[in-house]
Amino acid sequence: MALEIETLTQDGNQIIAARGEVDLYASPALRNAILEAITKTENTLGVDLSAVDYMDSSGVATLVEGLKSAANKKLAFVLVAPSNSVMKVLQLSKLDTVFTIKDSLEA
Amino acid sequence: MRSDIQLELLSDPALLGSVRALIRAYLACRGFDKERAQEVVLAVDEACANAIRHSYEGKPNGMVSLDMRSNEQWVELHLEDAGIPAPPEHLERKKLETPTIEEATPGGLGVQLMYQVFDEVRFQPGEKQGNCVIMRIKRPYRKED
Repeated sequence: MALEIETLTQDGNQIIAARGEVDLYASPALRNAILEAITKTENTLGVDLSAVDYMDSSGVATLVEGLKSAANKKLAFVLVAPSNSVMKVLQLSKLDTVFTIKDSLEA
Repeated sequence: MRSDIQLELLSDPALLGSVRALIRAYLACRGFDKERAQEVVLAVDEACANAIRHSYEGKPNGMVSLDMRSNEQWVELHLEDAGIPAPPEHLERKKLETPTIEEATPGGLGVQLMYQVFDEVRFQPGEKQGNCVIMRIKRPYRKED
């Protein structure tokens, strides 16, 4: 399944909802969406990965780049409800504890 | 070890989804459950992605061949390209440790994921040129065997 990306603004926060597969082919689209959202976010950028049913290391690299760019701008970068397969690749990469992971962006 | 499926594919990232679907189906018929198959699919996808990104520098007109082999005990996947030979230091196994945000780097993960998932990973020069990687994993134990 191809990747679909939707960006929502909510109280100065941005949420990127991704749906489908994030692989070498699709990760540039996610990267663009994340880097663009970082320029518009005031507080927190959430990346909703609940409907991502596959992610490879290029997807993980995209998230690492997003995390670092957000940190440089003192923004919070949160992975929202990652699916099992996303959690699996983060764990295999030993990066699951580097990210802030939440069930939702609501306090 | 006998060859079950041989596949020639263009080095086009748009094809990776189809290749994953084929490998997933192949592993199911060799006795792997969904969860294990998911990891193996990831690791083979990483090998294919490396061939596309590095051996062919992202150009979509190279050829990658994938040979899926098995016997009673093992599944073995041979991936070969005719692109630029990979620098050996990029293929070394490293101990993966959780980095800090500052230490985290976006690259170099694919090869380490291959080592994490497979029982054996062997890199060697391709037959004429390019690269060959052989990835080997024990088939799951089944009662009826």
